Amino acid sequence: MDNNENCKFAACTFFAKNHPGETCGSNGLPLTPSSITILGRSQRLLTIEHSNLCTYLDIIRGKHERIIVVAEVIGKSLSEYTSKFSYEEIINISLQVTNALMFLHKQDITHRTLSDDNIVLDSNGRVKLFNYGMYYMTDGGNEVPFPLGLPRYLSPETILNGGGPAADVWTFGIILLELCIGKLWKNIKPGPTLRRILTLVHANNTAERIAREHDCFEVYKEIPEPIRNVIEKCLKIYPSERATFDELHEDLLKINTITLDDIKKSRGLMGCKLQHLYYWWQLAGGDIQAELKKNGLIKNSPPILSMPIAILLDGGTIGGKTGALFDRRIAKYSLDILKNRLSHIPPQDFYPLMHERRKDYDAIALPKIIRERDTEYQFYRLLWFQRLLHGYPYTTQYIRAEAEIDIPPLVRGDVWAALLGVVGNIEEQYEVIDKETPTPTDRQIDVDIPRCHQYCWLLCGAAGHKTLKRLLKAWLLTNPQYVYWQGLDSLTAPFLYLNFCNEARAFACLSAFVPRFLHKFFLKDNSAVIKEYLAKFWQMTAFHEPELATHLHDITFVPELFAIPWFLTMFSHVFPLHKIVHLWDALLVEGPSLPLFMGVGILRQLRETLLESGFNECILLFSDLPEIDIGECVKESIEMFRSSPKSISFRRYTNEPELKDPMDIVEVPLDVLLSETCARISLSDFFSLTCQDKCCVIDIRSNLLYEKSCIEGSINIPYSGVHLGQHELKALGVQPHKLLTEAIRQKKIIVIASAEDETAQLFSDYLVKCGAPRVCVLHGGVAALHSHVPSLFTVPKKTAHK
Amino acid sequence: MTTETIQNTSKTFEFSFPTCTNEELLYKLEVPVQIPYDGSTRELVQRVIKMFHIPVYLEDELNEKLAEFVSEETKNFHNERDAKLIDQFKNSELNVESIIKNWEKQFKENVVDFAEQKGTSDEEVFAAAYHKLVHSPALETIMQVESSYAKTVMDMLKNRDEDIQKLTQKQTEEMEEKMRLLNESTTEEEINALAAQHFEQQSLAAGRWDSQLDALRHTQRATHRAWVMSAINEYQTDERVTPSTSPLCSVPPDPPLAPLTPRLEESFTIHLGSQLKQTHNIRLVAMDMMDLCSGERGDGGSWSRVQPALALYSSELSGVVLADARCALRPSTTEHHFADVDEQLRRIALAVEEPAERRNSERQRQGGARARRALQPGDVLVTRHSNLADAHVVFHLPGDVLVTRHSNLADAHVVFHLVVDDSLDSGDITSRHPAILGLRNILKAACCNDVTSIAIPLLLRHELTEEMTAAWCMRRAELVLKCVKGFVLEASGGGGAALRTLTAALPAALSPALFASLAELLPTIFRVSGPVRARPLPAA
Repeated sequence: MDNNENCKFAACTFFAKNHPGETCGSNGLPLTPSSITILGRSQRLLTIEHSNLCTYLDIIRGKHERIIVVAEVIGKSLSEYTSKFSYEEIINISLQVTNALMFLHKQDITHRTLSDDNIVLDSNGRVKLFNYGMYYMTDGGNEVPFPLGLPRYLSPETILNGGGPAADVWTFGIILLELCIGKLWKNIKPGPTLRRILTLVHANNTAERIAREHDCFEVYKEIPEPIRNVIEKCLKIYPSERATFDELHEDLLKINTITLDDIKKSRGLMGCKLQHLYYWWQLAGGDIQAELKKNGLIKNSPPILSMPIAILLDGGTIGGKTGALFDRRIAKYSLDILKNRLSHIPPQDFYPLMHERRKDYDAIALPKIIRERDTEYQFYRLLWFQRLLHGYPYTTQYIRAEAEIDIPPLVRGDVWAALLGVVGNIEEQYEVIDKETPTPTDRQIDVDIPRCHQYCWLLCGAAGHKTLKRLLKAWLLTNPQYVYWQGLDSLTAPFLYLNFCNEARAFACLSAFVPRFLHKFFLKDNSAVIKEYLAKFWQMTAFHEPELATHLHDITFVPELFAIPWFLTMFSHVFPLHKIVHLWDALLVEGPSLPLFMGVGILRQLRETLLESGFNECILLFSDLPEIDIGECVKESIEMFRSSPKSISFRRYTNEPELKDPMDIVEVPLDVLLSETCARISLSDFFSLTCQDKCCVIDIRSNLLYEKSCIEGSINIPYSGVHLGQHELKALGVQPHKLLTEAIRQKKIIVIASAEDETAQLFSDYLVKCGAPRVCVLHGGVAALHSHVPSLFTVPKKTAHK
Repeated sequence: MTTETIQNTSKTFEFSFPTCTNEELLYKLEVPVQIPYDGSTRELVQRVIKMFHIPVYLEDELNEKLAEFVSEETKNFHNERDAKLIDQFKNSELNVESIIKNWEKQFKENVVDFAEQKGTSDEEVFAAAYHKLVHSPALETIMQVESSYAKTVMDMLKNRDEDIQKLTQKQTEEMEEKMRLLNESTTEEEINALAAQHFEQQSLAAGRWDSQLDALRHTQRATHRAWVMSAINEYQTDERVTPSTSPLCSVPPDPPLAPLTPRLEESFTIHLGSQLKQTHNIRLVAMDMMDLCSGERGDGGSWSRVQPALALYSSELSGVVLADARCALRPSTTEHHFADVDEQLRRIALAVEEPAERRNSERQRQGGARARRALQPGDVLVTRHSNLADAHVVFHLPGDVLVTRHSNLADAHVVFHLVVDDSLDSGDITSRHPAILGLRNILKAACCNDVTSIAIPLLLRHELTEEMTAAWCMRRAELVLKCVKGFVLEASGGGGAALRTLTAALPAALSPALFASLAELLPTIFRVSGPVRARPLPAA
């Protein structure tokens, strides 16, 4: 097989422009490097799919301002074909080229670099344009140090430093002419070539004139008239007189005689989406840079040889790097390593069925970060998720179930949108919102955006800044009840990062996320909401980390001092994006209570340090949070969340429907909540725990009341007999101590039942200080339980307690 | 690129529609639109509908009309501009020659297809050969060869010193003899003549030795090059052959030198960045910066040269910032890879003179126009550097940086000579001080050019002086560290190599107590990573 046919994609590379000296933008911050601008602009290209365009697969920013463009490739370029094409073939090629350019011009993309070496043609006669976005991604060539295009294809107005989309028509005309009469201006240097093109301005019939110049007027005359007409329509000197690609396409369609056979869609690996193939290929060890190096497209000159010789005070450097030349060549990649890697996979696995029993993979036991790098695992996951996403929204519950395991990074944006229930015509909804009209918050937004996750190359460029601002403005406008709180920018960043070219979906995700996780957080007066949240967080800390909670309590290091940005931004202000995505993966699946436990999870990781620290050290520690193992934190927080009764993390300010059943209610006024160390458990949660024998009830009423009637299996520790000063379980007496330690060992939940709330809280607080985990208070106390579930009550045997 | 910035124009989009009740009566809508329009026309339609309360049934029509309008106007915009250009060209109103020249230059200088075919430069060939050899089994041989070269030079230096000392002694004796006889058998004129004669002898001897040294270095360099090139050929033709045949007989290993006196040193691992943390190492050392740039071997004999040699052509260079013009780099051993320091500085002076002078005059003009600041003394300095070739007076401002490359220094491949003035002695400089700005440029350049470890004088001074009290030192260290923190963060966005190790050098004479308080200062400025702890295993 021809080696070229085996290659599915290719890469080319170039250097972006270096900014001269130390120049600052209008906002006083350093200018964005050109490579960042190119990276931002080119994201849009990644989303363009058209049958006559080579799909862009990746834009990589390398060291020292290097940009590597990876795109689909087929067959060979026109310049590599040595034999002449027949007129029928030429017409068909032209037809496909015009089809592509027509599409590009509709998208407001000017090609400007069209040439015979970036039009590729496979053996089936299919034509695609390779790397058609150079002019677009480099902002009209402004971000690169080299001129775009080849001299012989430049239109007269382009040479005179003008040129719009119509320049592409000229170039197309020249290429068509070359296909008919052979290469033009061969072996002539750029200067003379450009001069000759300019002299064409004075000709009546440009094409004829060129043909005469090349001594092939006769050949030209032999070209069938329809083709000649097309060429002449393209090579008009004044752009306004040139035909558009729509017209040319129309003309060519009339004279086209070849219809391409529909290529049978490949099966198996080669039938998979190109983006997926590229992704798996990289996981399998494919190395874009290695091939470029092999082809001499990346040359590593030792940096010491290109050191500047002086740097002036204003930042201007003298001497040093001359910069590598722009090499138009491309490096092609074969998929062999991927094919070998996946060769043992049976054909039916490429088409997973929804209701088939899923296979378990070995990799599932490994940490998430490692699973994300496993070729085979990602292969199965990606195919399966693709399948599920196809069926969205009808497959929502399947997606949720699978997302609980993990989410393949490549489709994370889609999966998040599904988890957040984003449906409908979001583009149209987003379009309606006015994101342009200035508002008073603009200034604050403008200040915050250049400080928001700027280590991320997508978010730190002009494209990222602009989109983030539009998203924020749109959200504020559609949520007039809310105001802009600093942190909203960080909260939006993950959605923008995952949906960089799908603003509408980023917006829809944000709009769905806030009510679910941050209901009322962005009110102008959000103090009650935040207070409740922090109080709950504090209760969860006491529940799972009593020792730590006691220590922090003792040094009065309260959550108001550190945890507000955690919850207000759902941790997106404190962690880098690659950690946030893992955190939020879990968040979106587990629901709005998980963040409370994530907070506890973070504290747990810092446990040792915190226990040793005083107030000042704690402040210092949290002002710049140390590295947190997010995988571990997520795992533990889910574990804590699942092992905690639902009702103890109940919050009033959520978007959930109000609880009506008195069995479920645990709500207390805010001031009461703030004073309570331990959370309250609802009667129904208590009931189900009792049924599963997962709790240990401590009845703190007096001996007398207890003996009259008590909850079955409960321990009686009369409150009046407890010395609150002695923080030791032993002080409670031998028998209670034994029972309690046993309950703690069995990881039972300790429920305090009392006749009045006050004593229950004081006693639970005492237990926490003693270091007892999983302590909560029965809401309503013994009386409420007795009136709703009398069946749980019994009369204690006399011998059980003394 | 040569494309002119596109001048936007504003066109008015007109749209009229009949009122519901009266078909005759038309509402007219006029909206100014920027051409080319870089937003979505559909969004604009929505804004227009909202703003002018246009009935929604016109939405589709408006969408279509506005899109059409914008595309038509954009086309016209381009076409009209281009038509004008072509007309101007036809009427010879354009400077076509310069336009073509510019294109020609652009293509020739930036695109491979049109560039002059240049082979790899000698420098690069030698670099590649050397790099390959030091990463082959030949490393030991190379080190030995270089070491023996160095030894020869050192021997000659020793001989020179002895010789000159002998001469001096002889002259002193002679002079003393003469002086003794003064007024007896000698006259003052004779003594003067003798002194002149002595002086001549001295300079003659020095000159002779210098030229001998020069010649030796020259030969060494040439031999070294020739040997490396032939060794690489040999190595490449047969990988198995280890190029161990050195041009010299094997030399015995250097005798171990006395270990260096222990110096005050402390290392920290720090994290920078608010969300994404980068890890760097900071080393606080009290030492003479010149130790890093000396040509003398350290305690490791020829093996101390291994690390610098291995990294010389890699992308992990080490650099040193010298902030004191009084410290002259005078490596004694032969520079096998680059030009001599003096030669490098001479070349830099030549290259820098013009742009620096232009800059200076511009500054003066601007400063004069804005305020009279530029007229203040000391604002624009003409400095004469002892480390620059004497004849050159260079127009440098404090904060300018000269960069030299070396292969024969103990611990530096690149030396950044930061130009400073006496204002640094003052106790209260700000973060806008030229020396600090120069430091910023250095860190940026270091990042952009793969210098991954760099040593800076933390107090921006190499020696301790009387006015540098403990309080002064603390204040200065704090300022520099805080600035460096910002600069390192900023430079990491530049797309080069990340800075790994930052050595903050303090004067060697620093008292241990002051060193300790500076070491305490560091964790308050940077987030220092705590000691690694063994996490308790969960109870099974």
